[in-house]
Amino acid sequence: MKAGALTIACLVAGKVVRISPAEAHALAAAPQVLLPHEAETLGHLAEAMVPGARAAGIAEYVDSQLFADPSESLLIARYFGVLPPFCEFYTSGFAGLDAAAKSAHGKPFAALAAEPALTLAASLLAGPPPGWAGPPAPLFYLALRGDAVDVVYGTQAGFEMLGVPYMEHILPPRRW
Amino acid sequence: MSRSTNDEVDVVIVGAGAAGSLHAAVLAAAGRSVVVFEGGPPRKLGDLYSSQLWARRLKWTSPAASDVGADGAGVSFNGGHGYGGAAIHHYAVWPRLHAADFRMASDHGRGLDWPIDYDTLRPFYDRVQADVGVAGDATQEKWRPPGVAYPLPPIPAFAQAQAIARGFAARGLTTAPLPVAILTEAYNGRPACLMDGWCDAGCPTGALANPLVTYIPRALKAGAEFRANAHVTRVLMDAAGNRAIGVEYVGTDGARQVQRARAVVLAAFAIETPRILFNSATGKHAGGLGNASGLLGSYLMAHPSISVFGMFDQDMQNYLGPTGGQLLNQDHFAKDATPGALGSRQWMIAQALKPNDLLGIAMSRPDIIGPALDPFMRKAARGLGNMVALCEPLPDSANRVSLGAGRDAHGLPLAQVTHRYGNDAKALIAAAADEGAAIMRAAGASENWRSPIAGQHLMGGCVMGRDSVSSVTDSLGRLHDVPNLIVAGPSLFPTASAVNPTFTVHALALRSAEALVRDWSQFG
Repeated sequence: MKAGALTIACLVAGKVVRISPAEAHALAAAPQVLLPHEAETLGHLAEAMVPGARAAGIAEYVDSQLFADPSESLLIARYFGVLPPFCEFYTSGFAGLDAAAKSAHGKPFAALAAEPALTLAASLLAGPPPGWAGPPAPLFYLALRGDAVDVVYGTQAGFEMLGVPYMEHILPPRRW
Repeated sequence: MSRSTNDEVDVVIVGAGAAGSLHAAVLAAAGRSVVVFEGGPPRKLGDLYSSQLWARRLKWTSPAASDVGADGAGVSFNGGHGYGGAAIHHYAVWPRLHAADFRMASDHGRGLDWPIDYDTLRPFYDRVQADVGVAGDATQEKWRPPGVAYPLPPIPAFAQAQAIARGFAARGLTTAPLPVAILTEAYNGRPACLMDGWCDAGCPTGALANPLVTYIPRALKAGAEFRANAHVTRVLMDAAGNRAIGVEYVGTDGARQVQRARAVVLAAFAIETPRILFNSATGKHAGGLGNASGLLGSYLMAHPSISVFGMFDQDMQNYLGPTGGQLLNQDHFAKDATPGALGSRQWMIAQALKPNDLLGIAMSRPDIIGPALDPFMRKAARGLGNMVALCEPLPDSANRVSLGAGRDAHGLPLAQVTHRYGNDAKALIAAAADEGAAIMRAAGASENWRSPIAGQHLMGGCVMGRDSVSSVTDSLGRLHDVPNLIVAGPSLFPTASAVNPTFTVHALALRSAEALVRDWSQFG
């Protein structure tokens, strides 16, 4: 892992470790706030929106930030007027997504194939799909897409992937 | 100076941002005993990590304010938390107000007048810019009101700025270097900027004029005491309700304490300052301190702004330069320059871009997801150009900070922000959008598009004026009915113009602080 890479505190095999979200995903770190199904839904939605987000550890990243003090949270939702604590915003959105998926396809969102998942995800920007009950659907879309972009493109590795010089003054500390 | 008690001091200052720290520096240098309360953490330069994710910790989250109304004001994004306040993450775009900005009501019969004119504030602009270092080209900036030329040469124009400038020129419009409080040469012991676009994350080199390198060090050196994580809940009044006698605050131990003072400066930004005044209501001031007019909290303003994007085939070097941009245009700054709307507008051109975040590459096209996203990101990382139109919101008394239903951890009512844009603001934005598209086409962009309207900066809520019927404070920020309680910061603005407010916040604060020193016999 690069010095200064994004790291989070995770529970792996009963021990708290500081690792990157991608490593946490690879090690199947247990979520601390989200239910397993919610983490699965988050990973599926983020992957549909921003390919690579699941392996980059989107579920583990969001879970770690929901566990943090709201004033220390790095979630982009805080820019969209979402009031702390932020957990309700996410979990009610996942529930809304499942309800919409069941309404359209008869199964929860995490069980959708890639194409219908992408179609349903894209529809959120225009407004709530049939069956949706949760936060404003466009707001949920923007926040979740922003989170996924953060873990895929917002780190040093993401900059490198795009050929953008990072030019840091001070790298974020390893301890998150 | 360090105190272990809450013995009376000369001045308590609430908020360690731009206005509060400048007041602290001036007052402490004049020999006044000063304590500064800051509700957030004691940030230092080493905390300012180069990351758009980490930058979010600098923004305001607590105590939460609900942002209701048709158009959100951007309470969290525009606010700050901890030493430096909002100025720690500001982009340091420092144009001055124009003379006409001070007399909207007199000239146009709408909006509000300031109780001072440009010439009154001009020497304070001149002195602040010499003090902290501002870069620009006063000759090229043909719209600039009178004043001493900038002390530093302008920031360079990289490929993105050069390309978009050609579009302006083709449309018969002018560009000039953006005036910024960012050092282009070493100045007063601080280094020149590296032009790497991390302004939003806070500038740890000291090249950008954030309070951590400007007025907080001076205040500390002069003996001011700063208390972090100390949240002021209310201003305390004497029994007659005529004078402020200090503040109540909650420190890290959670206990309510009292700090007595001969004068109180409220510099807690546009939301918390009126909230504290509301929460300080007494029998004589039942509607809140400074609210004899019923206008406390009213006239909250956020600049309506849009980003206009263009995709170019060339390498735009769009990762270079300040976050606020490289060039300025104010060709439509006259209040009546846009048909069908009253108000000013300006362009800030060629903002440095990062891949992520609210103003980043990905968010420029929020509709793109799935397999189409990565090709877009790779193309835009080289070819995306952008510029921001900043427009004037007319003051509207219905746009306001009030007390909401929720309560904070100390049991005090939380703020509620009600905000919408008026028809003039929307017409200014529409004109800017059309003009921006034409400029991008003329510059050679293969495609162009614009963002939704976003609120930039927060101003108003404790507006200054000539009397207690139409305003909350006088031109020095003193409450009309409690003269030893002084408001500082953008809360004071009666109108917002279409320029970034931080330079004016500094100029007003310097004028107010020096007047407090001059008039101290009235307070001591």
